Amino acid sequence: MTSLVSRPSIVHAFEQFREELDDYNDRRERLIKSSRDITNLSKKLIFLLHRTVTEDAIETDDRVLGLRAAARAKGKLAEIQSLFAALRGELAGDRFWHHQRNISPGVQEYIEALSFAHYLEHRTLITYDQVQSTLSDADGIPFFPLSLEDYLLGLADLTGELMRFAIAAISRRGGRQKASDVCSFVRACKADFEGLTPHFKELRKKQSVTAQSLEKIEDAAYAVVVRTSEYDMPPELLDDLVAQTLSRAADHNGFGEESRRKRPREFDYEMNDD
Amino acid sequence: MDSDNLEKINIILDADVEIREVSGIATETEFLPIPDGQKIKEQVTEFDKKTRTLSGILNRIHSTRSEKMSALLDTARPILESCRETTAALADIVPPHQFWKWKDMWSNSLRTAVFAATLAEYLQDGALLSLQQVAETLGIKPEWQDRLALPVEDYLHGVINLVNELSRLAVNAVTLGDFDQPIKISLFVKDVFAGFSMVVHLAVWDTVLLTWIPAESQERPPSASI
Repeated sequence: MTSLVSRPSIVHAFEQFREELDDYNDRRERLIKSSRDITNLSKKLIFLLHRTVTEDAIETDDRVLGLRAAARAKGKLAEIQSLFAALRGELAGDRFWHHQRNISPGVQEYIEALSFAHYLEHRTLITYDQVQSTLSDADGIPFFPLSLEDYLLGLADLTGELMRFAIAAISRRGGRQKASDVCSFVRACKADFEGLTPHFKELRKKQSVTAQSLEKIEDAAYAVVVRTSEYDMPPELLDDLVAQTLSRAADHNGFGEESRRKRPREFDYEMNDD
Repeated sequence: MDSDNLEKINIILDADVEIREVSGIATETEFLPIPDGQKIKEQVTEFDKKTRTLSGILNRIHSTRSEKMSALLDTARPILESCRETTAALADIVPPHQFWKWKDMWSNSLRTAVFAATLAEYLQDGALLSLQQVAETLGIKPEWQDRLALPVEDYLHGVINLVNELSRLAVNAVTLGDFDQPIKISLFVKDVFAGFSMVVHLAVWDTVLLTWIPAESQERPPSASI
């Protein structure tokens, strides 16, 4: 190996740098694009899940609605998973950590959608290993490692979806019980995340959004209890009354919108485009 | 969250904290004790100390006459070589494929080391030390590539620092009566400039442009007076 003594040798060396940098930038662009596609599909899936659990006015069995939503989600999830599978080569070896930030918005949105579908089906929080296994091939070999931060941030967003789910459910038959279940579930999530916030700055920010979501569910549950004690009436009549109260509250507050607006992810995405 | 999942999360977290701060190396499920001093933070502190010392020594080039330059460079060389212990230790700690996860921790020291190595080479032989040569000087082995490497961006940053330093040297060399150095620097910098124009769309380009103009204009007066 010799030093670069002449202009042609220097230029030649720098040409190789350019190739390497071009290669990196091209891959980065491709990954950002895939991440956007994944984000879009995941958002659509989340809307589909919300629609499925609320659109059927006759069916009141939670289990049935949850399973129906989860079944409908399967195809969309498989579609997203195939996009992840296609990224395998781009993220092989040490490339994953070089490009992790380029794909993390997509990964997080996917985890939000996946964990929501999982909640509707099982009423539990999807585990890290379960998420990783959905991002692995048939032999269980991961397409790329799941970053702990993406996993936790995806779950933090789930609480916002659950809040919308609970508020939408509360006006339906049997919805008050459902809202109360969701309420304790989100409360437990928030407590679990609390211990992990020192390690992740973003998670700390999302905790406050989670706190707001939780408060909205608690307020709704409170309103229901107060009305119950005020009016001594059969549950069906009470359901109707709650429906009226909530539709007025909805017109007034536009509940459920804040946490969506506050999510900084898309903004971060642009910021990373340096 | 069920307890198995929480435990899993804590295992992953502990592994990262372990690599970053605590002695001992972590694998996914178990901790293998290894000798003290083998954690990234500690190594980075060492690396930082070494590169600061190097900067301190090389700062003296501005007040050193050309005949004594070689002796000055001889005092810098052992310290530059001692960086090999640091790079070897880092390559040991970083788990496979995780180079890019951790590299920001030592980027600054590495860039200073690149700067020191390329500056010493220029003063010795008037040539630009290639990326591979810098890596070799710092003991970075090609087979460590996914754990410890010298990335192009860090090399280029080091070279930019070199050019900045040379623009200062061009002025100070004249003060010390060396009228040849500015011309040599001017030619060398133009060659490096030609190289950088190959990578124009790079983010560092702005930095180059901002520092270049004074570098060129400062060299003109002495060369014109000869």
